[in-house]
Amino acid sequence: MRNKFSHIGLVFFVLIGVIPFAAAFIYALLYSLGIVGVLNSGFTLQHWQTVLASSEVFKSFGYSALVAAISVVISVSFALWLALKFRKEFDQKILSFIIYLPLAIPGVVAAFFTFQLFSRAGFFSRLAYQLGWINEVSQFPDLVNDALATGIIITFITIVMPFFVLLFLNVYKNERVGNLSELAYSLGASSKQVLWRVSLPVILRKTWTLIALYFIFLLGAYEIPLLLGQESPQMLSVLIIREIKQFDLSKISEGYAIAIIYTIVVSVAVSALFSRKNKTLNEI
Amino acid sequence: MKFNWKPYILTLIVLLILFPFVYMVLLSLASEWRFPDLLPSYFGLRNWLKIIGSETGLLHSFLISVSISLSVATVSTLSGFFISRSVSYHPKKRVLTLLTYFPYILAPVVFAACLSYFFLRMGLFGNATGVIVAQFMITFPYALIFFSSFWNQRTKNLEDLVATLGGNQLQTFFKMLFPIAKGMLLICFFQTFLISWFEYGLTSIIGVGKVQTLTIKVFLFIKEANFYYGALSCCLLIFPPVVLLYLNKRYVFNKLV
Repeated sequence: MRNKFSHIGLVFFVLIGVIPFAAAFIYALLYSLGIVGVLNSGFTLQHWQTVLASSEVFKSFGYSALVAAISVVISVSFALWLALKFRKEFDQKILSFIIYLPLAIPGVVAAFFTFQLFSRAGFFSRLAYQLGWINEVSQFPDLVNDALATGIIITFITIVMPFFVLLFLNVYKNERVGNLSELAYSLGASSKQVLWRVSLPVILRKTWTLIALYFIFLLGAYEIPLLLGQESPQMLSVLIIREIKQFDLSKISEGYAIAIIYTIVVSVAVSALFSRKNKTLNEI
Repeated sequence: MKFNWKPYILTLIVLLILFPFVYMVLLSLASEWRFPDLLPSYFGLRNWLKIIGSETGLLHSFLISVSISLSVATVSTLSGFFISRSVSYHPKKRVLTLLTYFPYILAPVVFAACLSYFFLRMGLFGNATGVIVAQFMITFPYALIFFSSFWNQRTKNLEDLVATLGGNQLQTFFKMLFPIAKGMLLICFFQTFLISWFEYGLTSIIGVGKVQTLTIKVFLFIKEANFYYGALSCCLLIFPPVVLLYLNKRYVFNKLV
């Protein structure tokens, strides 16, 4: 009886958890090879050759990775500083709830908020005008839809950093970093040594998998770069959807080829993160 | 005497956290707010009253979003709880868990674009059922991963104890497993509700604009440059999660730790 339940569970796991992913991957692969799909007439490597020869795809990969990496590094650094400096204050009743509030803001809202504040007709531009720093809209710097992805990075940081603060506070408590630090002090360590040789290594060793996972999440982010990004280069998900959903039907296969490259990169990264260490998110 | 800068930084942090909420509410109450005015020329309840009249379909979107998120959260929490047991006790747990991560880590919008053909063939394209099924495919792996820590040696020992004392499978679930997993079930429900509630890309692909959840509405208003209604939609999008966070923290999380 027990085995029967277990087998039914596994069947459902395969049906819901494995088959959709496999089906999506195979369909995208077949489409990119010209075997299925509108306007495709049979096996061809032409779409793959076009994608691999195009600089746009690699630019998009590099751009997405850079934006995600900058956002994660800044978020983690600030979050570590806040968690280590204000851990006692964040335990107070009202503050312990307030620091959870940013988790209630979805990406769409965060992007809209950044647009409202940093666009040329936004809040800060108005403030700059009222203070006499600018005389017209065009004098305000491009902070959204700009080449440096300023708006995207600001929004990523506002979305990700609160989560890291909560994570580091939790790890600080669970790993008894406070007790370890006291022990280090009693053995004669300086504040600097306690920070660099005790607190940071313990916290980062415990959370690096999750930090890497957030990098992967940001790499595939969609709505924030869709609203705040520029036309070229675009972040990966935006580029893939633009290719797949555009009116030129002959380009759809190329969109699926990029989707396959992205899926392989992400899957290899996840396998490297979780298979060798036998680590799951719950163990972090 | 050393200068204590901590209270100032803390005040700044609190202001930065509360600012988006306050700004969104103010923007939703405003209209005719043109550059370079720092304050709007109209400030009142006009936009909010229009929702009650359903002129913009926002109330309808709110109800659709609530229905979709409740359905997705309920199904994924329950199925995740039961199925994670089979996965966690399986000798090949490592491989199965790794397989769970693939759909979880992939950008939902890309996953949806690759799956859209199958949804079209099954008649699930452009309707709420399709959106629920598609969102379930990304919340289900989350629930599986979430519950994998619950099925440990201690839980297995308790299950064995119930079996030794003559309890059957149903009794094990309803009288032992559900009561001890109550807190985790609630947290998983809240989290999967939020994943569904915040979802935009996948919903836009599978719903093809016909299933207008609140996130879709926010984008529509932004595209129309109707920022006041956009802010109003944002308020409707933010406040249910705030209430959930409060309940989660007050009644669930505090009792778990």
